[in-house]
Parts: sequence; C-alpha cells; structure tokens
Amino acid sequence: MRRFLRIYLPFSKAGMQEMMAYRFNFIFHLIGEMLSCFVMYFVWLAVFESSDSSTFMGFSMVDMTVYLFISFMASFLTYSDGAINIGEEIRDGSIVMRMIKPVNFDMYLLFHELGSRFVSIFIVLVPMSVGVELYKFFVTGSVMFSLPNFALFSVSIIIAYLVSFYFNVCYGFLAFFLKNLWGSSVLKDAIISFLSGAKIPLAFMPPALAAVLTVLPFASLSYTPVMLYMGIYDAPQIIWSLSLQLFWLVFFWGLSKLIWRLAMKRLCVQGG
Amino acid sequence: MIYVENIRKEFKKTIKQPGLLGSVKSLFNPKTEKVVAVDDISFHVPKGEILGFIGPNGAGKSTVIKMLTGILTPSAGLCTINGKNPQKNRKSYVKEIGVVFGQRTQLWWDLPLCETYAVLKEIYEVEDSAYKRKMDLLNEVLDLQDFIKSPVRTLSLGQRMRADIAASLLHSPKVLFLDEPTIGLDVVVKDNIRRAIAKINEEEQTTVILTTHDLSDIELLSKRIVMIDKGKNVFDGTVDELKKNYGQMRELHFELAGDSSLESLAYKEKFGFSDDDINIKREGVKATVRFNSDIVPVGDMLSYTLSGVHISDISVKDADIEEIIRRLYKKEVSADA
Amino acid sequence: MLKKIKRISKMHRIFIAQDLKKLMEYKVDFLTGMFGFMVYQTINLLFLWIIFSGIPALHGWSYDEIIFIYGFSLLPKAIDHLFFDNLWSVGYWLVAKGDFDKYLTKPLNPFFTVLVEKFCVDAAGEFIVGIALIAVTIGKVSIQWSVMNVLLFILILPCATLIYTGIKTITASIAFWTKRSGHITHAFYLMNDFAKYPTSIYNDVIRNVITYIIPFAFTAFYPASYFLTGENPLFNLGGTVIAAAVLMTIGMLIWNKGVKSYESAGS
Repeated sequence: MRRFLRIYLPFSKAGMQEMMAYRFNFIFHLIGEMLSCFVMYFVWLAVFESSDSSTFMGFSMVDMTVYLFISFMASFLTYSDGAINIGEEIRDGSIVMRMIKPVNFDMYLLFHELGSRFVSIFIVLVPMSVGVELYKFFVTGSVMFSLPNFALFSVSIIIAYLVSFYFNVCYGFLAFFLKNLWGSSVLKDAIISFLSGAKIPLAFMPPALAAVLTVLPFASLSYTPVMLYMGIYDAPQIIWSLSLQLFWLVFFWGLSKLIWRLAMKRLCVQGG
Repeated sequence: MIYVENIRKEFKKTIKQPGLLGSVKSLFNPKTEKVVAVDDISFHVPKGEILGFIGPNGAGKSTVIKMLTGILTPSAGLCTINGKNPQKNRKSYVKEIGVVFGQRTQLWWDLPLCETYAVLKEIYEVEDSAYKRKMDLLNEVLDLQDFIKSPVRTLSLGQRMRADIAASLLHSPKVLFLDEPTIGLDVVVKDNIRRAIAKINEEEQTTVILTTHDLSDIELLSKRIVMIDKGKNVFDGTVDELKKNYGQMRELHFELAGDSSLESLAYKEKFGFSDDDINIKREGVKATVRFNSDIVPVGDMLSYTLSGVHISDISVKDADIEEIIRRLYKKEVSADA
Repeated sequence: MLKKIKRISKMHRIFIAQDLKKLMEYKVDFLTGMFGFMVYQTINLLFLWIIFSGIPALHGWSYDEIIFIYGFSLLPKAIDHLFFDNLWSVGYWLVAKGDFDKYLTKPLNPFFTVLVEKFCVDAAGEFIVGIALIAVTIGKVSIQWSVMNVLLFILILPCATLIYTGIKTITASIAFWTKRSGHITHAFYLMNDFAKYPTSIYNDVIRNVITYIIPFAFTAFYPASYFLTGENPLFNLGGTVIAAAVLMTIGMLIWNKGVKSYESAGS
C-alpha cells in the first residue's frame, strides 16, 4: 500500500499543481457555468410567484434552490475528462508511452485527476455548501444543517466521481473507433444532464420513467448524492441507493478493464 | 535598403509571488522587473545582400527580427526598411516583405497547400499572370508539385518548410526574413532550400536576412554576418573576417587502440598552442581534441596524431557556431577588462 | 473599398469551402453532435413544459411566448457562432503561443483576417432549433407581420449578433495584456443564458446588469418582446442597435490598443 501511494501520489501532486497554476481560469469557468443556476433560480422564483400553491410537485422554493445548487455542485465535482484521450492514444500509438512505464494506465489517470479534484473541494465544495446553508438560514430562520446527511453526501459523491471516472474511461475508448469525439461528447453530455437529474429532478418525471431512471447508472452521478444531502431518503432507500452506486462502480471498472484488454490485443495485432 | 539604428527592446516581466496570498497580491499590485532583450543594436544592409544574423540561443535574434517585421515595437531606436517604418505603415510595409519562422508555420493547418496560396494571392493582391509565373518558378526551385494538393497538417517538416518559404515569396517581396529556415531538416532538404534562397536572391535581387544555428547556411549563402549576444552587437563583418579574426576551431575525434596514451602526444609543447587554442577531452578510448587550425593546419595535426598513437577510427569536424560565438564573446570580455 | 471587400469575400469563400469539406469528412461526428444539441434543447423545452404544467403564465408571458423568446435568442447566437467563432482562439491560444504573429505580417487588418479564417458549421444546430421554435410558435402568438415588422426583424438580427461579437472582442482583447483570456470570454459569454427569459423575473441588480452593462437582454428578450407586444420599439429595438454600436466600438478600440502592446511569445 505504501509503495502504491509512493508511485501514484506524485501524479496527484502534479495534478494539484496544474490546477493551482490555472486556478483563475478555473474560477472564471466555474462562475460562467454557475450563471445558469442563477437563471434557473430566478425562473423558479417566478414560477412560485405565478403559482397559487407554495409547493411545486412536492418541492418548496427552498428545496428547489438547494436542489439546483447542490446538483450543480455534484455534477461539477463528478465531472471527469481525465481519460478522454485514451482511445485517441491507442489509435495513434502514443499509448506505448504509458505502457513502457510500470504503472496502471487507469490509476495514473485517476490519481492525476484526483489532484485537481482535491483543489476543487476548497474552491467549489466548501464555498457552495456554506452558501447554500447560509441561504437556508436566512430564508427559514433556523439552522438545518445535518452532519449525518452531509457525511452520507460525501461518501456518495466520492463513489459518484469514481463511477463517472470509469464510465468516461469506457467512453474514451470509443475514440478508438470514431474519428472524432466532438459530436458524441455533445450527445453524451446532453443525455447525462437529462438522465442524471441534473437539469430536471427525476421526481418531476412521470413515475414509471422516474423509476427506470433511478436505477440507471446516471442517477448515481448526481441525483443520489443530492437526495442524500437534502435528507429526502429514509434508511432502506439510503442503503439501496448507495449499493446501487457501488454496483455501477464495479460494473464500469470491470468494463473498462475488459475493453483495455481487448484494445491491447488489437494493438499487438496492428503492431503499433 | 535596411537601416537599423540603436534599436532597443525591453520587456516587463511579472515576478510571480509564491502562494495564494502572493498571487492575490500580484493581481492588484504586480511586481515587475525590466528585461532588456535587445540593447542598442545597429546595422545596415544594402539591396540584394544576404545577411547572416547569428547568435546563441536567447541572444535576442528573434526579437530583432520581430521588430524588423513589425510584430513588435522597439522601446527605442529606429528601423527603416525600403524607406518605411515597419510599425507606422504596417500594412503597406508588410506587402513588401516575406517572413518565415522556422519554428512555426504561417500556413493554414487544414487548408491544402494550393488553397493556401490562393488565399495568399488574394491577401497580397497578386495579379493572375504574375501569380502563375511565380508559382512555376517556385515549383521549379522548391519541388512543390508532389504535395501541393495535400493539407498542410499532413506535410513532413521538410515539405512544410519548403511550402512556407514559397508562401513568403509569392508576392515577390523586396526583403525576405528567414528565422531558422533549416532547423531540424536533413541534408538534402537543407541543400534544396539553400539553393532556392540563392536563386531567388540572384534573380530578383531580394535582400535576405537569415538567422540560423547552422554555420554552413551562412557559409554557402552569405558574405556578411552580424552576430549578437545577450542583446548586444558583437560582430559585424564578412565571414572571412570572422574566420581570420577569431580563428577557426576544428575538432579531431578519434578512438585509441591498444594501450596508447594521449599524454605521449603533448600537442601543446609540439606546436606551441596557447590554452585558448586547444582543448583535449577523453572518455574511455574516445578522445576529442579541439584546436585552432589557423595555428596548425588540419593535415599536420592528423599526420602528427596518427604517427604518435595507435588509432582505430578518426574524423575531423568543424566546430559549431556556438563555439565560435563563445570564443568571440570571451575575447570581447577579456578585451574590455 | 469595394475591391477590398471583394478580396476578403473571395478569401472567405475558400475557408468556407474548406470547412464544408471537413464537415463531409466528419459527417457522422457532425450529425451526432447536431443530434446531441437537439437533445439538449429538447430537455430545456421539456423543462419549460413541466414548469407550465403547474402555472398558466410566467410573469404574464404564455408558454408559446416564452418559447418564441427562447427561439429568438438562439438566432443571433448562431450567427455569431457561425462567422465569428475564431475570436475564442485569440483568448485561448493564438496570443499565448505567439501564433498571432502571422496576422501582423500580412497586409490586411488582423481583426478581419482572424474572423474570416473560420466558418463554424457547428452553429447549424442552434440555427435550426431557433428557426423551428419560432416557426412552431409564430401562429400561436400575436405578432403583426407587417412589411415594416418583417424588415425590422431581419435588420435587428445582425445588430443582436454584434452584441455577442462585441462582448467576445472586448474579452478576447484582454489576452494581449494577460496572454490568455479565453476563460474570461467564457464567463461573460455564458451570461447570454439570462437573455432567454423575461427580464422581469430577475432582481434589480441582474436586470440592470443585463440591460445596461453586459446587455445580453437586447439580444433576445427586448427585441422579441417588441414583436410580441408591439410596445416600446424605441427602447426594445433602438436599444439593440445602440448596444451593438457601443460594444463594437469599444471592442475595436481595445483590440487596436491591444494589438499595439502585443508581445509575441517565444525567443
């Protein structure tokens, strides 16, 4: 284990340093992306003003705001593109540069990205959750922060990130077959933003559809952590959703290993 | 043709302060230091001359070229080319010059080469007939026809450089700036490019300013060189003058056979070299002797070495330009002191 | 002058032809991307549909009117994306890597050369969805399609487009001093999201910012609301023209000043 960390931690450190070097770019990027949350916030505010009831499909304005910002934060934290070039590298042969080193390709990419994620905990997670809690305090007048919920959220978001990472490793392999990933990336991001509930809470969808979507891996990416943060689930639901997340993690991890093996075989046949 | 008078270029460099606090500080109150890249350089090039502009890495060559081509504005001093100031009349000025940066292409990455030339024809307003004549000539001297239909990104380095040079000549510029046009190329392509430059220079009386690290570019093309180091002018004269003034260093490489020892050769005592004129290095059986061939001809050195020790392999090389510059700079310093 | 326009348009045609050729080469990729974009827009519409299933109108605007404004907002965005996409490259790498040199050694205005170089076919997605949304809602909202209004509609689009281009020019020019500014352009550009909804839903601060400071509201909501209500043409349309003129003027001033203080990279 110590040897393992000795090998891979320097990659995390490098990832952290890159992130620090580009922190202003990152913050501007974050601000830009967050603007759509504010647009949505005002749209919802207008919806609640235009409506007679104080809840919308079971969500109050406070719930809605918390959902908006926490699900934005969850999608942002679990976003992973560290493996996006893997298929490209296999195709043009530059993957051999990774293979001549005695490190696992996925561990290398993972630890490198973890470094930058670690920095984003301070730039994204802390300020945003403090902001959301302050908002709740000012609107409702009482402190509602729940440590157990936050702990569950943290566990869930870590699993969600790993699911996202291995899902994107599998996706990255696609470039091995496709000439260009621009188009499919647009499609992938659109589908994920819908299926993961990042855009519209899954609870707003027709019950049958919602039931299917909660089981699909995409809900594990942002919907599950957000539900845990908001403390909406009861104990059996918590256990069920966390196990489901773990299941998808194992699934995509296994799938990525399988594709890697097949791709390597193909690489040998081609003679790289 | 080209008059450069006391030009100087200073850059402001922000000093990065460590840590998060430091970067916040530098956001509001950046600390800067002044870096002088080019310090008071003057020279003059008559029409039709090929000038070799040399100096070690970081000497300020590219900065000078960028000021002459109107990309950068000098902090002080004046340059006048074709009677124009590159910064003041930029658009009309650049119509009369061609520029090639060896490290970086000016061509459009995705465009097939012929389309690139069609765009350049529009940019420089070249007449149809002149364009056709020019393309024929360039085709002949640079062998473009094999890859004229390929997108630039698919060209090899040698092809790309030929394409870049052709692109810079399409509009028959009066002055051509070539910044390391032979960098990273093989001998055949280098030769091809040198012949093309020589031919264009001869046929159209194009004035050429050429920077390079390859001394043979200079030897084959230009009679005159300007050498700078650390932003200062250190030499301005002909190639012959340079050789005469600063001696020509050669390198003797050989492998010792059997139990021969270098010490038995005692070059210094035999030929009376000064410390500056000879340098002997040895690694295992391999030996390198760098010496001034003005003091002892190469032939004498060879026969003396061969007669003194058993040798399994031997070769003679020109010392590279960096070596001459280093020696030149050293002499400058000692002359000043 | 005329000759100059002819020259530039001839160059432009070569680049457009090239980008179309590339499009053919990556057909599948392009179609997938287009499809992805439409999925994305459909989700946004689904979101609006879900909202309106609970309320009759949003601050007095009906579902169809909101969709019309939404569709309108995509048009200037698409036109800017189609023709002026290369401004992003200035802030992201052209200046930082010193590649901007090549524009300065050409006898053309560097600004035009940068713009002409790229024709971004990807914009088709925004354009198609925008046109489709307007076409679908046009019969259901009360618009007086007089000759005058049709003309105004056609004339206001380029102005709305130049608001985008102006903001991109200003933020891209910052790179001449800071080397990179793509992320700044990104943050400002994404403010266009605010333009898709009636400004009355925002608080005073945001409303004033998107009206007077970063006037994205003039790219969609204000002009669209004129066509929907026929009210305040002087503010709703005139504001768009003034915003475009002011932003482009500031943009060109900063750009020209920036080009002068450009410090090429490398040795």
